[in-house]
Amino acid sequence: MGTINSAFSIMSGALEADQAALSIVANNVANANTPGYTQEVANWQEDQPLTVGGISYGQGVTETGATSLRDSVLVARLDQQNQLASASSARLTALNSLEALFPPDSGSSSATAGDIGNDVTTFFSSFASLEANPANVSLREEVLSSATTLAGDISNAAASMNAQSAGLGQEAAGVTSQVNSLTAAIAQLNQQIQTTSPTADADTLEDQRNEDISQLSQLIGINQIKTENNGLSITTTSGQLLVSEGSSFQLSSGLVNGTTHFFLGNTDVTAGLATGGGELGGYLTAATVDIPTAMAALDQLAFGISTSVNALNNAGTDLNGVSGTAASPLNLFNEPTQVAGAAAAMSVVMTDPSQISAAGAGLGTGDNSNAVAMANLANESLFQPVATTSFSLTQNLSSTTPVNGTVTGSALVYDSLGASYNATVTYTNLGANSWGYSISLPDTLTANTSVANQVSYSFGAGETVNPGTNLTITGSAAGGAATIVAPAVAPGEAVGSAGPPPTGYMASLDSALTAAGITGVTVSNTGGVLTIAGATATAGSVIADPVASAGSTGTLTFNASGALISPASDISGITFSGMGDGAASLSLNWNLFGTGGAGNITQTGAGSAQTAQSQNGSAGIGSGQTPTDFYASFVSMLGATVAGVQAENTAENASVTQLQTQNNALSSVNLNDEAAAMSTLQTSYQAASQVFNMLNTIITSALNLGVETAVS
Amino acid sequence: MRVDPTYITNLVGSLDLAQANEEQLTAELSSGVSITSLGQNPVAAGENVLLLNQIQQDDSFTQSSSLVTGQLQVADSTLGSVVSQLTQAISLATSANNGTMNPSDVESVANQISGILDEVQSLANTSYQGQYIFGGAQTASTPFSTSTSTSPAVTTYNGDQDVNFIRTPNGQKIQLNVPGSQIFLGTGANSVFGALNALIADYSTGTVNTAQAVSDTQALGTALNFVSQQRVTIDSSITQLTAASDAVTSSQTQLTAAQTNLMQADVGQVSTQLSLAETQQTALEDVISQLDQESNSLFSKLQ
Repeated sequence: MGTINSAFSIMSGALEADQAALSIVANNVANANTPGYTQEVANWQEDQPLTVGGISYGQGVTETGATSLRDSVLVARLDQQNQLASASSARLTALNSLEALFPPDSGSSSATAGDIGNDVTTFFSSFASLEANPANVSLREEVLSSATTLAGDISNAAASMNAQSAGLGQEAAGVTSQVNSLTAAIAQLNQQIQTTSPTADADTLEDQRNEDISQLSQLIGINQIKTENNGLSITTTSGQLLVSEGSSFQLSSGLVNGTTHFFLGNTDVTAGLATGGGELGGYLTAATVDIPTAMAALDQLAFGISTSVNALNNAGTDLNGVSGTAASPLNLFNEPTQVAGAAAAMSVVMTDPSQISAAGAGLGTGDNSNAVAMANLANESLFQPVATTSFSLTQNLSSTTPVNGTVTGSALVYDSLGASYNATVTYTNLGANSWGYSISLPDTLTANTSVANQVSYSFGAGETVNPGTNLTITGSAAGGAATIVAPAVAPGEAVGSAGPPPTGYMASLDSALTAAGITGVTVSNTGGVLTIAGATATAGSVIADPVASAGSTGTLTFNASGALISPASDISGITFSGMGDGAASLSLNWNLFGTGGAGNITQTGAGSAQTAQSQNGSAGIGSGQTPTDFYASFVSMLGATVAGVQAENTAENASVTQLQTQNNALSSVNLNDEAAAMSTLQTSYQAASQVFNMLNTIITSALNLGVETAVS
Repeated sequence: MRVDPTYITNLVGSLDLAQANEEQLTAELSSGVSITSLGQNPVAAGENVLLLNQIQQDDSFTQSSSLVTGQLQVADSTLGSVVSQLTQAISLATSANNGTMNPSDVESVANQISGILDEVQSLANTSYQGQYIFGGAQTASTPFSTSTSTSPAVTTYNGDQDVNFIRTPNGQKIQLNVPGSQIFLGTGANSVFGALNALIADYSTGTVNTAQAVSDTQALGTALNFVSQQRVTIDSSITQLTAASDAVTSSQTQLTAAQTNLMQADVGQVSTQLSLAETQQTALEDVISQLDQESNSLFSKLQ
């Protein structure tokens, strides 16, 4: 049965439990504004009842500690959403800076500074003005002035984009130290949690870990994996370990080819981080996708305008009666060698306005036909495909390759229709430091469907051009052997009347004639009719597409130290047909040596590897788009990207707010609840105290046998 | 109340957005332009580039058109003077051919026609803004010169047969010049200088071979008609340019209206949006102020 003493014990336990619960309330109120703090509630547990004579007597209550009100799934979801929102927010900031480089023109009388669209129009309009008076020097000055403005604005925009890209790289690199600090802290907390609370919620430590993870989520895209003993591993979204329970792995950054890359150990994790989310993901997406996309468009615009205008200016006659030549070109713009970098390098190289070729080829200086043609470039597609005419390949030839073993490398090349193919170079180890090589184009060329009445050639898969037969190309077409005979042309015969051959064909044909030993021949193109005439060309001389000259196979010999000693000089003129579309044929000049005499072929003891390739063709740009159409599309696409990311960011922030609200509803301190709990606990404590007091009175009375004495 | 650590942050974020919105709307009202960045309306931003391009091309053509119209009018006026001179020469030749003049008068006619030839040659060498307008593409050198070493004298053309065109924004090509040789040195009887030089030779001795002189006079008449025909080409170009210029001006007006509609801020709409944004800002500030007092929890009621 219960005794007064047991009642005392129950009451003292209740008072202790109430005090402990009040302490939890006090802690909640104290931490109401602590970041990451999770509201705690007291755990009450009824003490095991005492059974005496079959009758159970309650033994009071014990406060067994506090439990944090936490929903791990909700917290993880919030972290994920934070990663997305941070990424889009960082990307949006970068995009806003990017779009500021291309402000919309209000159309007011004063043009907006840096308005490339306006510059393009003004530039071509200056040629239109020159049509009216082609010899007028002030109109020519206007052409140069508008060209300078255009080139300046494009190159400035490109420089700004490069600066933005570099700035983003630096900002992204700056994030790594924060990431490393947080992952180290999380690893340390993991250790503490695993030691102190391997089976239950670690309360305050858990709060701190969650807070660190939340901050980490702002910075970088992560996945969380619960491990044994309440441990945690964290990886990037692409799976590289950042934290493995008590260990953390340092993220580092460094420049690779001028751009900031990120490493975990020796692994380059940049690509994974870019798509992973977080601030870092946003920066990297802007730096590796958005800015390069915009830069590529600007490069294409600059390349198209520069090359087209230069080509026409060289083809006409300037005010001094001079036409441009390869040796003395009359270039208005700095002639770009490739699309990449054309915007940044765009500049006006012409200083003398008299060098603007307003007149047509061979015509008097008062003629304006070339000015008309250049003005009309505004209405034409400037971005035709550029056929590859040369490519280089840097190839390591492994000394471990057995004799008669082969190493292959490949280079992407383009035909005049913009289709791309892989030219394959096969190296065969002949022993004694000697290698043989051959080039082939194992591609299928498609018919030219864009120009009516032009002949097209189809080459079978695996076909190799035979350089020994200049006039006939044989190979194995899909489905059987095929022989393709190039069109035969007799002296004086007009060919190509079915369709005008472009200039490239003329040049190729001319070199083909030379290669075939047919000299003294004039090739002319009048009104789209190709005419071949010449004194020494005899009837029956057959002229093919550009021919594969001798030398498309050969031997490379290295000395004992691995340096290439034969051939001793640059090899050029290794040409072969195969890229023709029937109208504009392609000749590939494969140079074993790059500029400055540096060998592009090296023999090393390392494994065979192709380390670099370059070629000068392009697939063509924005089919049928004029410069202004192209720029309009560009600004629309950039604007659409900005608007899309803006909408994405708004939606993600709304989602974050919603999740945050849900989480706060569960985990943040509710002062009303705490006040109510405190009031309840106060009442409970007062009641327990009162009971205790009464018990004290009762036991005093019992001790004094009902007589009031001094004992109380 | 629940101490939600993100209440204030969220509200301040909303307040920032409201203020940014107000700034944007105020900028639109002050500048009158509705699109100040590409992301606001990507499609309109692209369309704006195209419209401005067309407007500027139109504007450029209008200016060029004005310049070349001046040149064509000078050419037309010059040919008008040539016609007058030739008419006068025919009149002189006709009077010399009627057999009533003494040799001295005939020589005088020869001198007068020689003066007319000089005048016509001077007209044929007319320049506009420093460029000879009847020299084809050889605009820097004098197109016509006469050698008197032979009889009849020979006028030679130093220009070429080049014809310039101007291209209108819609692709129409309008001829800008007629080579001088085509006007003044037409083949056979169409040659102005040939006929004039022949007549001078006919009358210079004072003795008239009437049959030859009549024939040469008729040739001058034919050449006069030929000049008038060539003048039609010039007139036709002026007409075409005027029509093209009018069409371009009309197009430019429409395009400008379209571009203005595209980019101009709708003052009524923007003002309403601004008013709403201001109301939102005030409401947000009130809420933040209320929350800031933090006197709403039960704790304030506890004694």
